[in-house]
Amino acid sequence: MKKLSFALALLAACTMLAGAAFAGKLDDIKKNGVLVAGVKDSQPPFGYVDEQSKQIVGFEIDVCKYLADKLGVKLEIKPVTSATRIPMLTQGSVDIVAATMTHKIEREAEIDFSITYFPAEQKLLVKKGGGIKTVADLAGKKVGSAKGSTSEKNIQAAQPKCQVISYDTYPMAFLALKQGKVDAVTTDAPILAGLKATDEKPEMWEVTGDFIADEPYGLGLPENDSDYRDFVNASLMEMWRSGEYAKIYDKWFGPKSKCPLELKWKMELWP
Amino acid sequence: MRWDVVWNNIDYFLWGSLNFDTQNMRVTGELGGLALAVVLAALGIFGAFWLGLAAGLMRLSRRAWVKAIAVIYIELVRGTPLLMLIFWFYFLAPIVLGTAVPEFQSTLIAFIVFTGAYVGEIVRAGVTALPKGQMEAARGTGLTHFQAMRLVILPQALRNMIPSFVNQFVSLTKDTSLASIIGVNELTNTATQVNNRTMNAPFEIFITIAALYFLICWVLTATSRRLEKHLARYQARGR
Repeated sequence: MKKLSFALALLAACTMLAGAAFAGKLDDIKKNGVLVAGVKDSQPPFGYVDEQSKQIVGFEIDVCKYLADKLGVKLEIKPVTSATRIPMLTQGSVDIVAATMTHKIEREAEIDFSITYFPAEQKLLVKKGGGIKTVADLAGKKVGSAKGSTSEKNIQAAQPKCQVISYDTYPMAFLALKQGKVDAVTTDAPILAGLKATDEKPEMWEVTGDFIADEPYGLGLPENDSDYRDFVNASLMEMWRSGEYAKIYDKWFGPKSKCPLELKWKMELWP
Repeated sequence: MRWDVVWNNIDYFLWGSLNFDTQNMRVTGELGGLALAVVLAALGIFGAFWLGLAAGLMRLSRRAWVKAIAVIYIELVRGTPLLMLIFWFYFLAPIVLGTAVPEFQSTLIAFIVFTGAYVGEIVRAGVTALPKGQMEAARGTGLTHFQAMRLVILPQALRNMIPSFVNQFVSLTKDTSLASIIGVNELTNTATQVNNRTMNAPFEIFITIAALYFLICWVLTATSRRLEKHLARYQARGR
């Protein structure tokens, strides 16, 4: 019994030590000379493996690169999944998470977020001229989405009269749309734009729909490190003001990119 | 069908971003895909064999505390899904050890611990299946218990265990696909990456991946069949 309580005390002490190590992340990063960023490796164009170079590239990698350059340190990329990104941040395996993570209040309990750096909005992908323009048109229709996604819940709430069919992946949902099994596919607009672009005839499809739900992406930061968060927020705003954001956005979402998506949004800028 | 997508990425499926730079004569990139799955499976099988052998023999021990350790280990691990073990090792290691364990090493430990428990039971079954007279006769010649086990019992028992081992090892090889959950870039993960990038050839990609898994498992079973045939020559019983 004594041994057990000792082991538990040791475990608790280790946990606290690990917690204490998070203080002053900014100093740690500068000391190590490297910013470790947790990014997605299969979510084009945010973070994915480039076909030629076989390296992870994407919009979010460029955002992290900007932060690393500003600190004068090297950028190290570490792939994370939706399941691992928050634990990896809390245990210190990564310094920042840029992995299409929606800023949710419930996530604030474990980590902190930067200001929104990408305004993902849930939209619909439909056949052009198919008669569906808004969520209201979906009454009595079938809508495809992916299993376990927030889009699945949101669309059901926005249009209770539609039937949601969930597929394993978005490419499968798009295939179902092409085969006429569903009348629309719904998820975050950039993913829909990407889906549309993969088709042989992209002009046949259309990303449409009014407001369904906001999915504001924020950079995940360790809890309670105000200096570090201030730095990230200030850098994001500077990135916007200097036009660097527009440049990076244009590279990945511009009219000539594989995933064209008009920028109708303005970053929250503090005077 | 869009088999060109598979063809364009086949090198990535087979060995990840590993690349031999002919100009500078050095290797760049990181091992991934099928090669990483094979490395993970091979190291996992090696580790699980020795851990399982120890666990199985400990379970047969007459010392109560030695037996208890083995029983607790085997029962605990067998009653836990592998996915949970992978998560635990990955997320508990930093709390217990104070530093983060890299993804590859952490999944490898989970595979060894998981498969070791099953191998332990196979070893126990194999040893108890031998007639009692074998041990008695060996001890009668003056061998110690340890010597009798090593020189007489195990060489016979292990041969009989081969089919069960192969079962377990084939299953481990396929389970390496679970490593993708914490971001190890093995075969399944490379397939997801390419599928999400290209989006227009999901069936072609996953049929290829299934074929690759089948191929390595088939090599494993074929090798074991040859090994069994070879070893059957020395088998005294069952002719």
